[in-house]
Amino acid sequence: MISAGIDMGTQRVKVAILKDNEIIAQSQQFSGFEPTKAAEQSFQEALQQANLSRTDIQHVTATGAGVNMAPFADSTISMMGADARAGTYFFPSARTVIDVGAEDARAVKCDEKGRMLDFVVNARCAAGAGTFIEAMARALEVELEDMGSLSLKAEKASTINASCVIFAESDVVSLIHREEPKPEIARAIFDAMAERIASMVHRLGINPDITLMGGAAKDVGFVASLKRRLGMDILIPEEPIFAGAVGAALIAAKRAGRRR
Amino acid sequence: MASEIETGSKYIPEMAQKEIEELGSSIKAASIKVIEDNIERMKKTWKNRAKSMEYFDEISNLFGQREKEIREQKEVGKKVIGYSCIFAPIELILAADAIPVRIGSGWYDTAKLGDRIMPVEICPVIRSTVGAKMVRLSPYLELSDAIIMPLTCDGRTKLSEILSDYKPIWYMNPPRVKDDPHTLTMWKEEIQVIKEKIEKLTGNKITRQKLRESIETMQKATKAFRRLQDLRKGSPVINGRDAMLVNQTSLWDDIERWTQKVNELCDELEKRVEQKEYSSHPDTPRVMLTGTPMLWPDSWKVPNLIEESNPQGVVVVDEQCSGDRVLYDPVGVDEWIMSDMLAAVGERYLMACTCPCFTSEHGNEDRINWIIDRIKEYKVDGVIYYVVRGCILYAMEYARIKRVLDKMNIPVYYLDTEYTREDVGQMKTRVEAFLEMLEARIDI
Repeated sequence: MISAGIDMGTQRVKVAILKDNEIIAQSQQFSGFEPTKAAEQSFQEALQQANLSRTDIQHVTATGAGVNMAPFADSTISMMGADARAGTYFFPSARTVIDVGAEDARAVKCDEKGRMLDFVVNARCAAGAGTFIEAMARALEVELEDMGSLSLKAEKASTINASCVIFAESDVVSLIHREEPKPEIARAIFDAMAERIASMVHRLGINPDITLMGGAAKDVGFVASLKRRLGMDILIPEEPIFAGAVGAALIAAKRAGRRR
Repeated sequence: MASEIETGSKYIPEMAQKEIEELGSSIKAASIKVIEDNIERMKKTWKNRAKSMEYFDEISNLFGQREKEIREQKEVGKKVIGYSCIFAPIELILAADAIPVRIGSGWYDTAKLGDRIMPVEICPVIRSTVGAKMVRLSPYLELSDAIIMPLTCDGRTKLSEILSDYKPIWYMNPPRVKDDPHTLTMWKEEIQVIKEKIEKLTGNKITRQKLRESIETMQKATKAFRRLQDLRKGSPVINGRDAMLVNQTSLWDDIERWTQKVNELCDELEKRVEQKEYSSHPDTPRVMLTGTPMLWPDSWKVPNLIEESNPQGVVVVDEQCSGDRVLYDPVGVDEWIMSDMLAAVGERYLMACTCPCFTSEHGNEDRINWIIDRIKEYKVDGVIYYVVRGCILYAMEYARIKRVLDKMNIPVYYLDTEYTREDVGQMKTRVEAFLEMLEARIDI
């Protein structure tokens, strides 16, 4: 059984191909102005990796904010549904899945079979999502990749308001004017973001184990802040950015099975 | 009395006649399009839509036949009494031969006008109603000879002040605690005062006979409403949006004609039950709406999303003062004497109401029980808790309702929005995920 998942993210398109529910290929591209094209390219690349052709794939399921732009899909699944499925796939003990993407963040409560039971979305403001780190890195004149390790050097915690990116940026500017060291400010940024995500998780009720996926899960600074805020360990898959695509591919496998 | 240094209106600045006309006519044109579009969308989802729905489509035109009718009746001396929320005792208005119309606004475009004088944090229902007043958009608001304003939430309290520059405002002071004997006494006095004001405006005495007739008229409307609601308890023979439209038109239609038309619709739908001719697939997840009133036409955004989603949902019941709560409770009279009838009218509007403006040491128990009962009766699979930004009472009560629903194992989703069309994409993602979840649960 070969299935594929396409995650049409706001910043990147991700593709995962599974054989009997084992990942055999993963590929990603920037969505850019032509997400459909990006998805096609990414899909081709994944096929090459797996040494397969299009007709070998029995079912393709698409997900993500740009799901309607997916070039070909036999079915679709919500981002939360894909998250829940992927979370329990990587960690069978996971009951809460947090997904922090570029433009939005969500927390999903699931059961042992990876079925979504409840969810919360932060869709109002980008202050709880990946692009926030990017914007703040620019304000600090630091490379995005260096933000995390920089924040880990902080000796104390400053605070900023993260109800809104614009407010947060002006708070960061006033920290700069107070001549706070960069590591402190970087940590304040991650803490503020983690605070927003943690309150989202609290609204669902804390159900361990907790797993984190999406691009922001790669950021050591954010992960450290989130662990502190939640007061517990967080499980992170090896390649968290592909989790949504893997979740969609798992759903695809199930649907292909049902169809036969 | 206003302060010495004030002249003119208290809130709304003067606008040039030209601007009023231009804005008014462009918003009106846009609104007519939204109304037509909503009806088209309802028809598209409900392929073999009941013929009797045509009447309600016509009445749903806020600038159509009904406006003309009210205008004509006004010309021959009838009075129009507007009201802002469901605490207004309709039976008393009808008993004085006046025309009741609800004035709350469901226009998104006028909310932007309201922004000129109020911050965006204010509930958009209020901002939109103010905006509608600024450009004289709402026929029912404009035609009102007086407006009953029950002071339920903070938004409506200040709205009454703003509208008082244009219309006589009759305040009603609903108590926030229902079951204290002294609050009930106070409420009965409020009813008495409103009765006298209605009599004075109309010049018609509300006699025992007239009040009995109007109570019976409204009881018949409730009976027709409940007949329609009963049809929503089984496999869907009417979609949620269509039933919501029927129920909401009762807020401005001639209630006797409305009752007759609802009964005709029910005749048609009852045949469809026998023939198993459903408006949506019987396995469609069954959704209940609760929260902020959802006013025609623009706020159809949410039920449109639910019933056009993939997977699809069907709204089977709501707990909203713009919908299923309007006619649910009949006035229960022991003896047809004046004092008993007035007491019964008062109790019906106070005791049966589940508005979150009420509180008690047990919380807003009546609302909780209302929701629990409807979930059971209508076999609800999930609840969408709809709140517009700035609707504080509904937003605050969410945590309490969610705890109750969690215990019942009924999923609930908090859908917050604004009077805007721009968030439809985001909302679609959330609504679809919620329906997907309900569908997966039905599968199990």
